[in-house]
Amino acid sequence: MRMITTEKINETIYNALDEINQLLPGEKKIQKTEGEILYGSGSRLDSLGMVNLIVAVEQRIQDELGQSIDLTDEKALSQKNSPFLTVKTLSDYIASLLNN
Amino acid sequence: MHLDFLISGFEKNRDKTALICDDKKFSYGDLLDNFYFFKKELLINRNIHSGSLVLLEGDFSFNTISLLLALTDNCCIIVPLNSSSKSDRNELIDIAGIEYVISLNDSDEAEFKSTGFSSSHELIKIIRERKNPGLILFSSGTSGKPKAAVHDFSGLLKKFRTKRDSLVTLNFLLFDHWGGLNTLFHTLSNNGTVVTTSDRSPDNICRLIEKHKIELLPSSPTFLNLLLMSEANKQYDLRSLKIISYGTEPMSAVTLKKLNSELPDVKFRQTYGLIETGVLRTKSKDDNSLWLKLGGEGFEVRVRDNILQIKSESNILGYLNYPAPFTEDGYFITGDEVETDGEYYRILGRKSEQINIGGEKVYPGEIENVIREFDNVADAVVYGEKNPVTGNILCADVKLFTDENASEFRVRLKKFCQSKLSKYKIPARINITEEINYSERFKKKLKNQSGP
Repeated sequence: MRMITTEKINETIYNALDEINQLLPGEKKIQKTEGEILYGSGSRLDSLGMVNLIVAVEQRIQDELGQSIDLTDEKALSQKNSPFLTVKTLSDYIASLLNN
Repeated sequence: MHLDFLISGFEKNRDKTALICDDKKFSYGDLLDNFYFFKKELLINRNIHSGSLVLLEGDFSFNTISLLLALTDNCCIIVPLNSSSKSDRNELIDIAGIEYVISLNDSDEAEFKSTGFSSSHELIKIIRERKNPGLILFSSGTSGKPKAAVHDFSGLLKKFRTKRDSLVTLNFLLFDHWGGLNTLFHTLSNNGTVVTTSDRSPDNICRLIEKHKIELLPSSPTFLNLLLMSEANKQYDLRSLKIISYGTEPMSAVTLKKLNSELPDVKFRQTYGLIETGVLRTKSKDDNSLWLKLGGEGFEVRVRDNILQIKSESNILGYLNYPAPFTEDGYFITGDEVETDGEYYRILGRKSEQINIGGEKVYPGEIENVIREFDNVADAVVYGEKNPVTGNILCADVKLFTDENASEFRVRLKKFCQSKLSKYKIPARINITEEINYSERFKKKLKNQSGP
């Protein structure tokens, strides 16, 4: 199967962030950079915001890449390093799901 | 002898139309003759006698109704089952411990079978000792297995001895649901006309209303949503209709408002009843209000921990397969959460319908009301989905009038919800679907529902 590139996955995450940002006030909007903190210390998202982002990313992956993934199953939550810290960690985790 | 109050009314109104089944008319005389025929047939040729536990399988029809009355008068214990409930039929027969099966086919012909089983359940024994008719109805159980609720039928029938107005009534609610049987007994005991059909689509219901000049339509909120979506009310003459009653699930304020503007001459009445208690008399604050008075003769109503409790002569004796659901002083715990305002109640929904999102509780109906107000939304169902982060997340399946870009729609709808609802009440997942998943009872199916 063709590899899905990091660029493509990042683009999908950014599209999901666009979706979420439209619902957030100015100071809470999430930057579209790899280093942006998503969850944990310094995060601008609360738990509901995070859950919404995860669902938005899942739906975007489904819509744009035609693949169904679960980002909050046991596997995701039992990762040594949380996939939800930054855009990069999330992108890497999604790549590992899609390309394995 | 248990139906003496019915029989005397039938005798006096022999020429009046009692039933219109699939557009065919039967008089009270026809019904009475058929009732006597089956009373004898059961005892002499079928060996189905007082105390027999009988499954009566069919939908409202001339023979099913005659058999129901004959079985009742012969003091049998009756388990009505709608023909469309086939998927769990055998499980229900096992749970109830059925001794005889009477099935009616599409041509209204009856088939009689003995299962060879003999029930010795304590609750069945109680009814047999009382020499009263019994009625067993099923309601959904918390563990997934249906609950078999056992009534002494004479308790439920008592209220029909009081004469009330009779209207031409459509028997919309189902044959194995107390709402449906309540409609039947109410109309027959007041010598009104009962119109029956197995096609409960909005189009057919509106056709029947026009053709038979139906005055009373007992229904459910979901059916009324479907009716508005189909616009069938605009294609038929519904001027005969005086009252639409609705129960079985919480009504949306938006639907009620829309119904009042579409059918301005119709009175909308909320009913409240449970398989375990029978139907209570209710009085709505006004046509547009979801607040109502509850109770009436023979019913005592109280609220404990925001949950409605009911004590009545028509309460069930218990369940065949679950513990007795009563307080020590004999109140049935309904599980329905209510708000109170003086003598008025507002039904918020089953406590178990609540979705717990990060400790905040949400009733799906409230969110559905908001989503249905949004443009291009034809209908919506809201449910909880397990989520490790917040316990559950809120999901909405939405049916659109016209296609549009899914992600743009999601953002638009979420923004709209944001302007109307607390943050935790905004659905995280919005799916656009072709069809909303209705169960055969016109209730929403609660999918993937779970507690925290």
